[in-house]
Amino acid sequence: MSTEYASAVAAVRAMESALLSQADIERLIAAESWREAADILRSVSINPPETSGGFIAQLDDELEKTWEFISSYVPSPSELDLLLYKNDFHDLKAALKSLMSNTDPKELYLRPTLLDLDTLYLNVREKHWEMLPEHIRETAEKVYDSLAANMDGQLADMMTDRACLEKMREKAKLSGNDLLIRYAELTALFADIKTAYRLSLMNKTEAFIQTAVCGSDELDAAALARAAAGGFESLTGLLESTGFGELAELLKASPAQFEKRTDDLTAALIEDARMKSFGLDPLAAYYLAKETQIKNLRIIFVCKDCGADTAIIKERMRMLYV
Amino acid sequence: MSSLGLALAVIGAVSAALFAGIGSAKGVGIVGEAAAGVVSVDPSKFSKVLILQLLPGTQGLYGLLTAILLMSRIGIIGGSAVSLTASQGLMFLAACMPIAIVGLFSGISQGRAAAAGVGIVAKQPDQSGKGVIMAAMVETYAILALLISILLIYNIQL
Repeated sequence: MSTEYASAVAAVRAMESALLSQADIERLIAAESWREAADILRSVSINPPETSGGFIAQLDDELEKTWEFISSYVPSPSELDLLLYKNDFHDLKAALKSLMSNTDPKELYLRPTLLDLDTLYLNVREKHWEMLPEHIRETAEKVYDSLAANMDGQLADMMTDRACLEKMREKAKLSGNDLLIRYAELTALFADIKTAYRLSLMNKTEAFIQTAVCGSDELDAAALARAAAGGFESLTGLLESTGFGELAELLKASPAQFEKRTDDLTAALIEDARMKSFGLDPLAAYYLAKETQIKNLRIIFVCKDCGADTAIIKERMRMLYV
Repeated sequence: MSSLGLALAVIGAVSAALFAGIGSAKGVGIVGEAAAGVVSVDPSKFSKVLILQLLPGTQGLYGLLTAILLMSRIGIIGGSAVSLTASQGLMFLAACMPIAIVGLFSGISQGRAAAAGVGIVAKQPDQSGKGVIMAAMVETYAILALLISILLIYNIQL
């Protein structure tokens, strides 16, 4: 019986005590203003700035620190790297698009990332594909060629997003870790449904949709593309017949509710990790929990800043891991 | 035949100290790793995790105690060694097996349980007593094994 990562898991448990509880989130939602919410946050563990300006950047820093904390306990590269693939591929998209539009990509980059953001743009511009990390190398070259040939930004986005999901699934399967495999599968499944939904509303062709969806163990890419090409009704029909009736209903009601539900289903995956004392699962769970907390804080503070109703905030809150 | 009997008894004493000691070393090491993780984040929890780290150390002490009692019984400590038949030597060897084997496995298992308890200290320090109790339950079987080993050592006819 393995006792791997005993030290890391214990350290993560100590950090978990600083995660916001459901009661903290309720108090933040009930706050009358941005300033009052900031005061509540100061009384728990996070110290937001006096004004809303730098708070989002502070939240990004927080997530980056979480990743640094976790990665200090695991070898590099590790199975957990796939948790950052979404950011890596987003940053690749930002670099490629900035190159094509001759703008500075720095403001568009997401962190934490496995990429060296100081050299990413330069390597893409100089086509030094071999200097890029292995997981984005092939995609970078393909998407660059596609953009150079037809300047179709949407196609570039689709190609990059699909490659990201494929790499996540591949990495998860190589790791053999059940939690990571399930996480990658669910991420691919939900992303595919979202993409198919958007493209079905745009009346895209089956061939185009096929290039955008990657497929998952639970939903075949070809069937999804065919259904989405047939329109929204056809797509929801497929979802209902494949056991995703609840998601189809949510798509009909509101894409925001769909997003919340899919995030909650992903969060439910890490529930079991709370009971484990060894292994990678609690580390992955802590990172994902922190990501969810930051997403919730972002929603609350943006809504408080623009004076949105508490009911709107409540229906967008993601499930917590505490 | 007397030297074979004595040799078997000495092997028994060595086994008790060796295997129970290995169990404790492994157990204490596992908890130590977990404890270091917590202390790296919150040094104020040092004393609480230290209690948990000490728990799997007892098996090694039980093994040592058994070995000393046996060596004393057969006269290796505090006198001249007695002459033992092969069957007596075998009986002493068998007498040491409970603490040797149970000490090895219970030390490791208690280390795992105590490392899990460290997680309780880390997340809910006010519940740390429960973590100690759960890890201490494993101790029962090491104590039972020690008891049997000692009873056997003192009841084998010389």
